Amino acid sequence: MQATADLTTCEKEPIQWPGFIQSHGLLIAVDPVEFTIWQASENIEELAGQPVASLIGQSIATIQLGDLAGSLIHDMLVIAMRSGRPEAFNPYPVKIRGRDWLAIMHQQDGALIVELEPTSQLHGGLAKPLHSLIAQAMSDIQRSKTLSQLLEKTAQQIKQITGFDRVMIYRFGEDWHGEVVAEAREEHLVPFLGLHYPASDIPRQARELYKVNLVRGIADVEEPRVPILPVNYAQHNRPLDLTHATLRSVSPVHVEYLSNMGVRASMSISLLYRSELWGLIACHHYSGPRFIDYPARQSIKLVSQLLSTVLEIRKDDEESEVSDRLHDNELALYQQMIADWDVVQGLTKHPITILDLNEATGAALLFEEELHLLGDTPEPNEILTLIDWLKNTTPESVFQTNQLPNLYPPAEGFRTKAAGVLMVVLSRQMNEYLLWFKPEQIQDVSWGGNPDKPVEQTASGELRLSPRKSFDKWTQIVRNKSQSWQQVEVALALKLREDLLQIVAGKANQIRALNEQLRLANEELEAFSYTVSHDLRSPLSSIKRYTEIYKEDYGDLMDDNAKAIFDRIVKASDRMSMLIRNIMQYSQVGSSGLARRLLPMKDMLLQLRDELLAGETTRDITFQIEETPDLEGDQTMVNQVFSNLLSNAIKYTRSVPEARIVIKGSQSNQEVIYAVTDNGIGIDMKQAGKVFELFQRLDSAASYEGYGVGLAIVKRILSRHQGKVWFESVPHQATTFYVSFPRRIS
Amino acid sequence: MPDILYVEDNPDEADIFRRLISRMENPPSFLLLSSGSEAIDYLLQQGTYQGQSTPLPRLVLIDLKLPGHNGFEVIQQVRATSRTCYLPLVVYSTSDNPKDMRRAYDLGANAYLIKPESYHQVSEMMRLAIDFWLTQSQYRP
Repeated sequence: MQATADLTTCEKEPIQWPGFIQSHGLLIAVDPVEFTIWQASENIEELAGQPVASLIGQSIATIQLGDLAGSLIHDMLVIAMRSGRPEAFNPYPVKIRGRDWLAIMHQQDGALIVELEPTSQLHGGLAKPLHSLIAQAMSDIQRSKTLSQLLEKTAQQIKQITGFDRVMIYRFGEDWHGEVVAEAREEHLVPFLGLHYPASDIPRQARELYKVNLVRGIADVEEPRVPILPVNYAQHNRPLDLTHATLRSVSPVHVEYLSNMGVRASMSISLLYRSELWGLIACHHYSGPRFIDYPARQSIKLVSQLLSTVLEIRKDDEESEVSDRLHDNELALYQQMIADWDVVQGLTKHPITILDLNEATGAALLFEEELHLLGDTPEPNEILTLIDWLKNTTPESVFQTNQLPNLYPPAEGFRTKAAGVLMVVLSRQMNEYLLWFKPEQIQDVSWGGNPDKPVEQTASGELRLSPRKSFDKWTQIVRNKSQSWQQVEVALALKLREDLLQIVAGKANQIRALNEQLRLANEELEAFSYTVSHDLRSPLSSIKRYTEIYKEDYGDLMDDNAKAIFDRIVKASDRMSMLIRNIMQYSQVGSSGLARRLLPMKDMLLQLRDELLAGETTRDITFQIEETPDLEGDQTMVNQVFSNLLSNAIKYTRSVPEARIVIKGSQSNQEVIYAVTDNGIGIDMKQAGKVFELFQRLDSAASYEGYGVGLAIVKRILSRHQGKVWFESVPHQATTFYVSFPRRIS
Repeated sequence: MPDILYVEDNPDEADIFRRLISRMENPPSFLLLSSGSEAIDYLLQQGTYQGQSTPLPRLVLIDLKLPGHNGFEVIQQVRATSRTCYLPLVVYSTSDNPKDMRRAYDLGANAYLIKPESYHQVSEMMRLAIDFWLTQSQYRP
């Protein structure tokens, strides 16, 4: 071995070319046509009575194995080769010096390989009759409710057939590390059930071999292996391929590995699932050598093949059951979204939520600028930062990882909640995302040894591949990794995305239709306002004017009573005219466009003061204008706001001998606020709710003219400017109305 | 030749106009038309007025809300025709909507009067307007 030994060294060791067999049998490789001997195991000397070298190149018919004549072997080979498939008639029983042997033949590498092994000396007949074996296996399969039950029964059955001290069923994980999932053992042995073994324990090329050669065993690790001579066979410059040879000697590394565990004999049987290695049945014997003969091996092989078949069916069933349930949940989520006509509610507010769509333990929905959390999740700010990272990391509409902290270091802070993340993009423009989280799978794994130290240094300083001497349990924590995301989980996340987008699109269309209706309604309202203005005011003007004309032309003929009646007609039409004008103004605030610009407030307020005071020459009014910061707004509307506020102030101070009105502006970075204060009758705060309502008048204002429109207009104008209006009042002392206009940087 | 062309569809308005003119010391002559379309035909000598001699007034008073072509369209047509493009046009409307005023001036109205509600105010407004446009203002197209 080189000093650069690492785990891959073992993976490079060509274990199917050892050129050695185990000592309990014999191997002869012959020309499949001429039956001349190409190679033989060194231990043939004992039976043949001559060195191997002298046998090479001879016809098999000319040799003698103990009391077994070569011609008999030759005849057997002729018969075997006649069918073209010599292995079809395995085993071929022979007798040598009174002992029963079995010849097992197969063709490989252009050679016919004949292996001779003794029948088992341990029990008279280890192998049960085939039919009883199958019956037993089938009934175990039928009676086992769960997979682990079935595996345990199988382990027991194999132990029964073989008599091994320990039979384990070993299952491979995704990373090819193994776990003991079932075990049958002699009572005095330490249980290995639940132990994990690192992937380097069974290197890749051994796993490949296990897929081809389903059963192999080592009868006694202490027996020296026997070389096959010569090293290279026939005209080839390489040893014979012993892949299918049952006597094949195993790698010295493996022998050392077994010795470290105190194992004297072992056997392993492959379990395949869809042509991949699912696991192994591993048998250990500690109390002495143990050789399992060919018929027993065939029985075990049959049991393991039955088990493999069941694995396929069971695993398919389990997978499809889970998949059916998840699909049902996805459909339920879709129906909930439709029934509620609300994405967030449909996904999060029913017994079935997005958490039921997969095996995640937490979920987050960022939708319409709101973050909704379900289950066990990182903090909202952590999720928002994660989303920022995710959306810049992938242009795809779906993203998944089971080791987020390794891609995104901040995730280490919340790996117990989200070491794995599955994200689907709902809309990049709207910044809408759906995420699922899986926690760090803190694998408190019981390792059969330290998986980090398979390589050890020898006394001479060379690095050499050596299995661990220590098999004490220890716990390794696999950090930063969650369970991986299954195909069906990702598929359903994408399906949900489609359903969700369909609903969002449906809602958008509905909103568009509503907007169109609203626009039409607004247009109608505007047309209606115009009609009210013109068509109602014209006849009203006529009534008023003809009343005046009548009084002018025939006034002399009327008595005082008749004149009073005519005055009432004029006043009533004046009131109606004012009401129509107010309604007009109110509706115009909603419909007319907003031409916002910076308004010189001082000029506007001075002008308003002059206009409003012009009709109040008989009263004592102090009208004070203080700071007047300019504000941004629609000139007509802002003018209307102050006109209404100031005329209210003048109106409701009428009963006060010395009226005092103060107008004062102030500004901050965000807004400009004006306060209009008077010392008038004020507002009873109990009726504060009515102040800004259309056509609502307060009790205290009953004796003042008006229709309850002015402040409603003020409120409407402020709302169109994204501004605010509020007030505070101590009746007969100070009543202040505040209006605030936002400052916009434009 | 009429001194004033008054385009007005409301018979009451027309009646009051007639009445207040008749009370003036030197009543001007006037022609009343009750639709925008008829006013355009008259001023542009088209439609039923085609081929007829339609003397231009010295002042056009025009309501905005009219059947057929409204007041705005009349202003537009009058200003777009060389024969009438300098004709004094005064809007006389109930509307105090700033949008209407703006639009009227944009199209080329010379003045905008809002109809008062009281008869006395109406008659005072008309007396002043007629004095201004027919006596004070100089018009030699």
